[in-house]
Amino acid sequence: MTTIRLDSVSRTFGAVRAVDNVSATIEEGALFTLLGPSGCGKTTLLRMIAGFADVEAGRIWFDDKRIDTLPAHRRNTGMVFQNYAIFPNLSVADNVAYGLRARKIKPADIAARVDKALARVRLAGYGSRWPHQLSGGQLQRVAIARVLVIEPAVLLFDEPLSNLDAQLRTQMRVEIRQLQQALGLTTIYVTHDQEEALAISDRIAILRSGKIEQVGSPEEIYQRPRTAFVAEFLGGANMLPGIAGTFDGHRTEVASCGTTISIDGHVAKAGQKLFVSIRPEALRLANASDRPVLQAKLVLREFLGQIQRLHAALPDGTQIRVSTLGSLPVAVAAGAELAFAYDPAQIIVYPEA
Amino acid sequence: MKAFRYTIVFGALALLLLFLLYPLSLVLDASLRVNGTGALTLGNYVQIFASKYYLNGIFNSLLAATGATVGATLIGTPLAFCLARVDVPGKTVLLTLATLPLVLPSFVAAYALVLLFGHAGVVTTGLRALGMTIGPIYGLTGITIVFFLTLYPYVLMPAVAGFRAMDISIEEAARNLGGSRLHAFRTVLLPMAMPAVLAGALLVFIEALENFGVPVVLAEDRPFLAVDIFKLFAGEADNNPAAAGALSVLLIASTAIVLLVQRRYLNKRRFATDARTAPSPLPLSPGWRAIATGFSWGIVILSLLPFIAVLFISFLSFRGPVLTWQLGLSNYSMLLEGSFRPLYNTLFVATLAAIVATVVGAPIGYVVTRHRGPLSAGLDMIGMAPFAVSGTVLGIGLIIAFNSGLLTLTGGWLILVIAYVVRKLPFCIRSSSAIVHQIEPSLEEASINLGVSPLRTFATLTVPLMASGLIGGMILVWITAASELSSTIVLYSSRWSTMTVRMYHFLEGGEGAGSASAAAAILIFFTAAPLLVIQRRLRREGATIL
Repeated sequence: MTTIRLDSVSRTFGAVRAVDNVSATIEEGALFTLLGPSGCGKTTLLRMIAGFADVEAGRIWFDDKRIDTLPAHRRNTGMVFQNYAIFPNLSVADNVAYGLRARKIKPADIAARVDKALARVRLAGYGSRWPHQLSGGQLQRVAIARVLVIEPAVLLFDEPLSNLDAQLRTQMRVEIRQLQQALGLTTIYVTHDQEEALAISDRIAILRSGKIEQVGSPEEIYQRPRTAFVAEFLGGANMLPGIAGTFDGHRTEVASCGTTISIDGHVAKAGQKLFVSIRPEALRLANASDRPVLQAKLVLREFLGQIQRLHAALPDGTQIRVSTLGSLPVAVAAGAELAFAYDPAQIIVYPEA
Repeated sequence: MKAFRYTIVFGALALLLLFLLYPLSLVLDASLRVNGTGALTLGNYVQIFASKYYLNGIFNSLLAATGATVGATLIGTPLAFCLARVDVPGKTVLLTLATLPLVLPSFVAAYALVLLFGHAGVVTTGLRALGMTIGPIYGLTGITIVFFLTLYPYVLMPAVAGFRAMDISIEEAARNLGGSRLHAFRTVLLPMAMPAVLAGALLVFIEALENFGVPVVLAEDRPFLAVDIFKLFAGEADNNPAAAGALSVLLIASTAIVLLVQRRYLNKRRFATDARTAPSPLPLSPGWRAIATGFSWGIVILSLLPFIAVLFISFLSFRGPVLTWQLGLSNYSMLLEGSFRPLYNTLFVATLAAIVATVVGAPIGYVVTRHRGPLSAGLDMIGMAPFAVSGTVLGIGLIIAFNSGLLTLTGGWLILVIAYVVRKLPFCIRSSSAIVHQIEPSLEEASINLGVSPLRTFATLTVPLMASGLIGGMILVWITAASELSSTIVLYSSRWSTMTVRMYHFLEGGEGAGSASAAAAILIFFTAAPLLVIQRRLRREGATIL
């Protein structure tokens, strides 16, 4: 059980600040996800914790032990690599035993611990196999067994599922999460897949250009994005530029995209430029009585099974995305005029960046 | 596409059948017959195994080859690691220079050793004046030293590629699991590079076993397999083609076995991880870095020293076999006053061989890479077979096969070109197959899909895309053909003598040290210059060329 503390850590590559003065505390036993687009610094931050990227400024603590000054092989972290990094010259059992041998564990104990670790990842009996005989998912499990067996202080995952196909990916992430919870290991998990992050994490940090944009539970981050970047990155909110109108004591009318959007509360002074964030699922096809509504012309309909996504053009031509249930019949062709109802309380505005 | 494939496959097979397998089968046949009468016999083999001299020759050859293999591995592997993973200053230059010993004529290096440390060598006489003597460089010692100093790149190049091909995450995983850098090297990095190292080491063994030029310069009267074969076949004193045939069969059998083992071994163990992130240089302390730098530069300079010495000595004057310290071009004028003919011959034959070998080898490399199947596998195997055949033996086979009858080819330039094309074909197949690996098959499929016939697609799309790789292979053929001695010495005729043959005769006569050094210098120039010009491309293809 380890609490990880990042204390203003920084790292630059040439002129690029890959990790820029990041501070965070990861509570013991939590699965903490670093989420962000490629190049945001999430992998660099993970590698700084593992000891593969130098910490230029700042400190990293495991509980009250400072670890950023230790060499990588003395940090007792268990890292699962994107490409698994299974040693091709060693059998599965020898791969799993690798860290134990490096720690000079007695050979008699090694065999038992290796078997236990392999059983844990449902690979009992695979010890004598060679890596090239295993599938991608099995290699992934070997990689996990290999780090679990050393009983690391923390687990580090570097986009561990990105090489697997979609079905295996959802299956593996459930397994990873269950293992992590059962063992209660503090875990840092790097991904660029927002669905994966939301599904697996206790807490998520959204990174952008080396800085943490927002930290919170999946629900917090999804429902109350603090910045336009987070709102757009997570869930693909429609970002519409607008100009605030008058506040009628109840709602503010914002002129946007050739129409008017009503938002609860006094969100901005009249005349101020801003961005209106509307989640695709915050819009639905309106009944005759619904107020307020957005008028838009259907451009394209994507049927995705559970949901269907509508692409519609606002009066000035700006396209918005709308998610509705897949079971809802939309018997209209492209070009049809549609009205979308929304709840003014669910619309968030951000000041123009 | 099928017709195209079969044309290539059967064309190549026919060519190798006629100019490789047929001559070799005649050598085998000769070894099984009584000289003169033609009756079948095993007597030639009995004679060899009863003769202490020939047994000694076999033993010496095997010993020198083993020593060369061990030496080349012991210096090639650490050097490879330094060049792959340590920030050695001038690394790229070093990598280029390190390929030179492989293509420079090895008998020139042997000759340099004689010039420096021989009976009348510069260093020997200098030390003698100071009252010191050095051990003999003739015989096994000198031959083994020259072998591993000229052949270690066979280990170095694939090992560098092997160390570089490991994704950094492999090493990081080892460290993350608690292994120190040394531990990670011992348990993961070295074992993963080992197949590449051993594959290269076996090539060293083959090359050393069949090499003719180095023992011919340094063996003096000691028996060596490759030299004895030549003497038995072409010597005036103890001419015995049947015994030469028997020795040849033994030589080919041993190299073929080693080549088979090498391919088996290599095919079974492919540890290459696709290095998505190349490993970064090791953070070494200044002291260790200085040691690595000194070691790397030391080895490479040491291996080039013989060639540099020859270049230098060629500009000094000789009085008989004795070197004087007078600068001048007398060696060159002496060499060339006879005639420019051997130089022209060398350039002409090497150029022709390079073109033909490329034209033949490129489609073979293409088919072998693109179309997996038993036919391609067989072709791949046979295409690499010339590696196992010593030049002397191939020359002897070609003489037996084409000296008379329907197809008489001996006595002109054509037989030299044929011998070179067959011997150097593996270079072309390798470099062509390496470049084809890098061309997306979908490009050709798109072309065919758009209505261009497979044959035209190959000619107008694939070949231009392959061009860069083919030129590398072509120049390699050119270089090695220009410096080829072993098959040339059997096949040349007086009008079609080459620079290497001239040099051999100067050395054999014992009086032509000056002219020999000039000939050697010219050979070095014509082999090193093109290699340095295309060094970048060769380096990129690295291991595939070997």
